Amino acid sequence: MIESLVRVLVYPGVGFIVFFSFLYSGIFRKISARMQHRIGPPIWQPFFDILKLLGKEDIKPEQAKIGYTFWPFVAMISIITAGLLTPIAGVVPLGNSDIVVLIYFLVFGSLCLYLSGFSSSNPFAVIGSVRGIIQMIGYEFPFVVSVAVAALASGRLLLFPAAVNMYQISNGWLCLSFPFAAAAFFVSVLAKVEIPPFHIPEAHQEIVSGYYTEYTGKKLAMILIAHMVKLFVLIALGIALFFGGSLDILTFIAKGLVLVFVVSFFRVILARFRIDHALKFCWVFGFVGMIDLFRVLLGF
Amino acid sequence: MKEKDVRKCYILPVGPQHPMYVEAENLMVHVDGETIVNVDVNIGYMHRGIEELMQRRNYIQNIYLAERICGICSGIHTVTYCQCIENLIGLEIPERAKYIRTIILELERLHSHFLFFGVMAYEMGLDTVFMYTWKDREAVLDILEMISGNRVNYGMSAVGGVRRDVPENRIPEMIKKLDYLEKRGQYYAKVFYSDKLIRKRSVGLGLLPKKLVDKYSIVGPVARASGVKTDVRKDIPYLVYDKIDWNVIVREEGDVLARIMVKIYEVFESIKILKACLKALPGLEKTLKVKAPFVIETNEAVSVTEAPRGELFYYAVSNGTDKPERLRIRTPSFVNIANSLGILLKGQQLADLPIIVASIDPCFSCCDRVTLIDVKSGERKTVDEAYLKRLEERK
Repeated sequence: MIESLVRVLVYPGVGFIVFFSFLYSGIFRKISARMQHRIGPPIWQPFFDILKLLGKEDIKPEQAKIGYTFWPFVAMISIITAGLLTPIAGVVPLGNSDIVVLIYFLVFGSLCLYLSGFSSSNPFAVIGSVRGIIQMIGYEFPFVVSVAVAALASGRLLLFPAAVNMYQISNGWLCLSFPFAAAAFFVSVLAKVEIPPFHIPEAHQEIVSGYYTEYTGKKLAMILIAHMVKLFVLIALGIALFFGGSLDILTFIAKGLVLVFVVSFFRVILARFRIDHALKFCWVFGFVGMIDLFRVLLGF
Repeated sequence: MKEKDVRKCYILPVGPQHPMYVEAENLMVHVDGETIVNVDVNIGYMHRGIEELMQRRNYIQNIYLAERICGICSGIHTVTYCQCIENLIGLEIPERAKYIRTIILELERLHSHFLFFGVMAYEMGLDTVFMYTWKDREAVLDILEMISGNRVNYGMSAVGGVRRDVPENRIPEMIKKLDYLEKRGQYYAKVFYSDKLIRKRSVGLGLLPKKLVDKYSIVGPVARASGVKTDVRKDIPYLVYDKIDWNVIVREEGDVLARIMVKIYEVFESIKILKACLKALPGLEKTLKVKAPFVIETNEAVSVTEAPRGELFYYAVSNGTDKPERLRIRTPSFVNIANSLGILLKGQQLADLPIIVASIDPCFSCCDRVTLIDVKSGERKTVDEAYLKRLEERK
């Protein structure tokens, strides 16, 4: 009982997930700053940011709808739950999990973030949310295709992510045998965490901060936590599904850092898509991923 | 579009406080989904009444005021002002002063253009190029600091010449920095021209056809990007521009990318002019300034120059005292913003709005005019001469 509680709440559960998502996000910011010839914030900056935001005054705009208060919270909880269903260093914090449920939690988390934008009744936030939902139509397709490839490749019809993890350890990296699916997965990760070239829903120059323009204080902290945990969860999922899997914590962190580096590299070199271009780009990668799906299904 | 349909659109306020621009300005953008249906350009938030202030100060004090009209084009404003006053007096300035003024103006063009590349990249969501260009811009500011001791407001021009000499022992250092800038300019030309994402966000966007340029009197690089060969430096040469070999950059496309490419190739031309000036400088006579009278006879004069953003025009009337009777400033940004934004933005995507607005390189501080707005009824009217006279009588 106590053992499973520790597994869910401390390691590799909520505490570990939140701590490392802050750390990854700090490292992400530092690396991209160095690539841009900037000094950048210290890697502990996300911790300071969240601590500061938690102590701030809570402001609710007069015209905000009722969901303004709870959507950020629901988003944060649902994305952390998705994290609890992901294999972290070979262990799934909530026992075992189903990939389909994991996908649902990630989708629901993103949806809640966009709903928070709608409920704040700010014109910029509404446009940001609309863009987010359009973008979702784009990136969910390659994401689901690539996850399905990984799950089916391991030969389990029950689609356990932990099983894919184990399969990779005994049979080699899936991203090598299924490069198209891995590429589709990577593109959909970039789009899911809204980093360049997919930072369309929060395009600073066009719509201020997009769907969280109106948020401050604790609610903004929740949205930011949801963001950072999303990056961490997707990186953990990427390791489990495509990048060789991991059984001990050190390989997990090392592979995670390499992926953070790759993601920040793409963040630095790419400009922003327009929403229609982004949609087209995502779908092209979805179809590219389909090549591998057919290969898996037909067995060659 | 009918009045009724416009009302059905969603109106998105862009500004006066908006991350898209540094200064305060307001665009009321009517959007239908993501498509822009109509744009109301409301300028006037940065008005400071400089023309009126200039009529209350003497000719020397006005140099400082002219320098502060714009933070980026501070050099060109003082030079144009001083030229205008010299034309009033009928004064010929020393050759060396002409060269030094040219050096300052071209350096200013360089730093303004590098700033523009950064802003364009930033608007496209490519922060890296923004950081790189602004880092390279420091090299220009370093050269300006070597010459004048200042990075932004140089305080170089005076009526009758310039105030400081270019330190000749540091010319090799400046040439080295210019070589570096040339190399970086070639790099940015490659980046902007070949990067696929940048091309997607700039080719064919914000199209300004050649025939509209004359109709709406668009000036500067925006007009040159639409295939109109207009540059005051070639058309009505001032300073030493007719003694140096350089070309006017013209592109035919008229879209956002053309505007960027025009400015990138202007960087190379500016570097060419600068190198020629710096080479000619040691052989010139050491006189920097001739004495100018404090009181100026009744006369009127104009002065036209090419600012980084286009044609800058000063008109002055003197009345036999030490203060000007009237000074009129017509800045390039005013023409470009007020005349072109509406045409450029209509029918475009909302996501392209910042890119198109930034591509005409707006600089609001020099373009604002007085508009009175009745807060209660929302009625707006422009201040006319009769109203100003009434104000004066009351005083």
